[in-house]
This record gives sequence, C-alpha cells and structure tokens, in this order.
Amino acid sequence: MVVLSAARWVRSRLSDRFWRVQEVLKYARHFRGRKNRCYKLAVRSVRRAFVKSTKARREKKRFLRALWITRIEAASLEHGLKYPAFISNLAKSQVELNRKVLADLAIYEPKTFKSLAALAQRRRQEGFLAALGDGKEPEGIFSRIVHHH
Amino acid sequence: RYVRQLQRLQLLFSPTAADARGARQFVEEAAQDFARQHPDVVLYVSPHSGPGPAPVLRAEYLNGTVRDELIASKTSEEIVQLATKLANQSGLDIIRIRKPFHTDNPSVQGQWHPLTNKPSILTVQGPRLQPK
Repeated sequence: MVVLSAARWVRSRLSDRFWRVQEVLKYARHFRGRKNRCYKLAVRSVRRAFVKSTKARREKKRFLRALWITRIEAASLEHGLKYPAFISNLAKSQVELNRKVLADLAIYEPKTFKSLAALAQRRRQEGFLAALGDGKEPEGIFSRIVHHH
Repeated sequence: RYVRQLQRLQLLFSPTAADARGARQFVEEAAQDFARQHPDVVLYVSPHSGPGPAPVLRAEYLNGTVRDELIASKTSEEIVQLATKLANQSGLDIIRIRKPFHTDNPSVQGQWHPLTNKPSILTVQGPRLQPK
C-alpha cells in the first residue's frame, strides 16, 4: 500500500475487494445452497465451520475409541469372548496393546487376533481356578507376572 | 545418498521496476554464494526489460511441480532465506497429510472377511463331500 497524506488517504478506494472476498469464499465452495456463492451468508457459515472443526478434534478421539471398541467386541465375540473379559484378561497377562492396534490386528491379522483371544481365554480359566480352587493347586502358567526393573 | 529435489530456480524480474530492488541486490551480492552452496541446483537469472509482471522466484522440482514465490519488495536476505527454504523442500503438494503412515501390503495373514472364522464346510465344495 502506498503511503499517502491524510487528505488523499480519505479519498482512495479499495482496489482488492475481489481477492479479500475470494479468500473467504474458497472455504465455502463445497457448501450447499446460497452460502457457497453469497459473501454475506458465506462469512457466517465459514466461521461456524471452522469453529466446529476446532471443537470436533476433541470429539474425534472419543469417536475413534468407541469405533475401535466396537470392532474389538465384534471380533472377540467371533471367538467366543466378550469384550470386558477379553480386555481385562489381556491386561492381566501383561499384554499392553491399545485398542487401536487390537482393532487393526482384528482386521488385517485375524490369526494373531485368534491367538490373543485364546490367550485371554486361558488366563480367564486360570483366574477362575485360582479364585475357586483356593489353595493346593499350583499357580497357572499364564498368570505369572514378569517384573521389569 | 541425498538427492536434492529442487531442479532449477528461475529468477524472473525486471531491471527497472521499483519492487524488484531486492531481487537485483540478491543477483549482485548473494546469488553466486547461493549457487556455490547448492551445486546441484541450477540458478537461472532472466531479467525481462520494461514494465512486466511482478518479480517472481520460480522453483521447479524433480516430480514436475512448479512453485512461484513473489519476491516483490523483499530484501536480499529474505530472498536468500526463501531460496534456501525452497531448496530444502521436495516437490510434493503442501496439503494436510491424512495419515503419517502408508503401506502397500497392510495384511500379512490375509484380510478379514466374513468367512474367515467360520467352519470350512461353508466354503469348500467338491465331490469329496458327497457320501459314497
């Protein structure tokens, strides 16, 4: 912008209005209705769209975790285990896999997931024996805990 | 070994325009040092006489992308910084990458389909299954 004296500044007119409007409209091009063409409506819609996308980043984490849990539940039910049993027994066997990885394994490596389900089932049985047997039987093999110091 | 993705840098400016002053200073002072420090980038200086388009630094990459950067009313140091930034980039488009990972073979054991964990009676067909 050229620096003019105050008297001339008052008389100079805006010349790049087109580009200032396009900066906003380019984010509204895929909207529905008049708000993808008319600047006045587009300004409001674009601002709301940005605000929603910022707030949705926190929701996305919750949504994806729920999706993973659904998938793991479906996969473990195919192998005869319910989700709470699967997750708790896997944690007791010190398998520290998170839900994202478990869901990916269930989709792309079904045999690995089957073996993980079998491990959880075995640990579950050993847990029942330890709780109900009470005493003389030796501790289960998969119930042993490895201590990393 | 590292292959620099920047193929050539074209400095298009007019020797008389006022906003190309930084470009002219860059050509006089820093262009030779820049060219010596980046021996695998070709630097073209093409002044077009008379009033023309705005002074621009055009970067062409090995994958064909051409990137124009305006250098109007920029000092020589800023142009040097801009040129080093372009030299360190690759020619991929600067958009949001959806995932930081990619595989061509996502499944080693075979992707799950509804018949993976069902008994094989459902899929196998053949004369062996008929009772003799």
